[in-house]
Amino acid sequence: MLGSYRIVLLIVSVLTMWFTLHKIRQSKIKIEYSLFWIILSVMLVILSLFPQIASFVSEIIGFQSPVNFIFPFIIFLLLIKLFYNSLLLSMFEKKIEGLAQESSILEERVRKLEEEKRDDEKK
Amino acid sequence: MKKLIIIPAYNEALNIERVVNNLIQNYSEYDYIIVNDGSTDHTAEICRKNKYNLLDLPINLGLTGAFQAGLKYAKRNGYDCAIQFDGDGQHRAEYIEPILKELQKGNNIVIGSRFVTEKKPHTMRMLGSRFISFAILLTTHKKISDPTSGMRMFDKKMINLFASNLNFSPEPDTVSYLIKCGAKVSEIQTSMDERIAGESYLTFVRSISYMFRVGISILLIQKFRKKEIIEDVEEVQ
Repeated sequence: MLGSYRIVLLIVSVLTMWFTLHKIRQSKIKIEYSLFWIILSVMLVILSLFPQIASFVSEIIGFQSPVNFIFPFIIFLLLIKLFYNSLLLSMFEKKIEGLAQESSILEERVRKLEEEKRDDEKK
Repeated sequence: MKKLIIIPAYNEALNIERVVNNLIQNYSEYDYIIVNDGSTDHTAEICRKNKYNLLDLPINLGLTGAFQAGLKYAKRNGYDCAIQFDGDGQHRAEYIEPILKELQKGNNIVIGSRFVTEKKPHTMRMLGSRFISFAILLTTHKKISDPTSGMRMFDKKMINLFASNLNFSPEPDTVSYLIKCGAKVSEIQTSMDERIAGESYLTFVRSISYMFRVGISILLIQKFRKKEIIEDVEEVQ
């Protein structure tokens, strides 16, 4: 692997890790969700320090060049992650919808009860 | 039999009083509930001032979420059937009774259709409707002449299903899915008025994207859904 490419990769992965940890410190991201990014950035740091790992693994699997292996692997990983995010998003939307509907139904009941009470007091 | 009219309203300040007063004065045998879908105009204030029955959603959920709120209310309060009735005055209340009669014949869903006996005009607007009708015919072998009509009545079973599930939107794709699950769907000829005031949600671009979304959903996605079991009402009794 080219030296400059390794340096860029190293800087980017260290920055990613720093950014993730920084956001955890600020309590901007839940630990559960940050795990993926920390593991990913650690993996990238290790790979940029020891590119032999990539060559080794890709050789075992039968790829000619490590890049041919790394690219599809990372893309696959991110696709899975993205789909999982869509699942979470759907779940959150459902929860928010449920809460909004529930609150409107409760508000209607409270309003009705208040009106009844007011009418009772008038009598 | 407890009957509920669900009126989803998004920015219908100009129409809501006319629509609801007509229902209160002339169709008092039905209960009604307005669902204000986070309107940015005075829809909610008008409803409160008039002491209408109102579910006031704190945020905008879109038609699906708003109508579902109405169905949850229907379920909570033990209604036997519920009809969607638009807050813009396009739906005509005199057709609620024939739709109800058709529901009582043992149907799960009855659609107030503009094209049972009338012919569908060959306009651009109806092209989408034809496409969706064709998609439903292809996948369910059932002819639904006016799939995009918003005037639909649901029986108790459908109320319970819609109230508690994700992906039950009051849209043609759900209707096609339910037909496949064994729901009985029927149509009744109605006519609809043009909207008198305010703006329609469906612009040209929105119509096209709606057609694609619903079409693809009917043709490709619905068959992958796990089927709900809808038993025959008569057999149970």
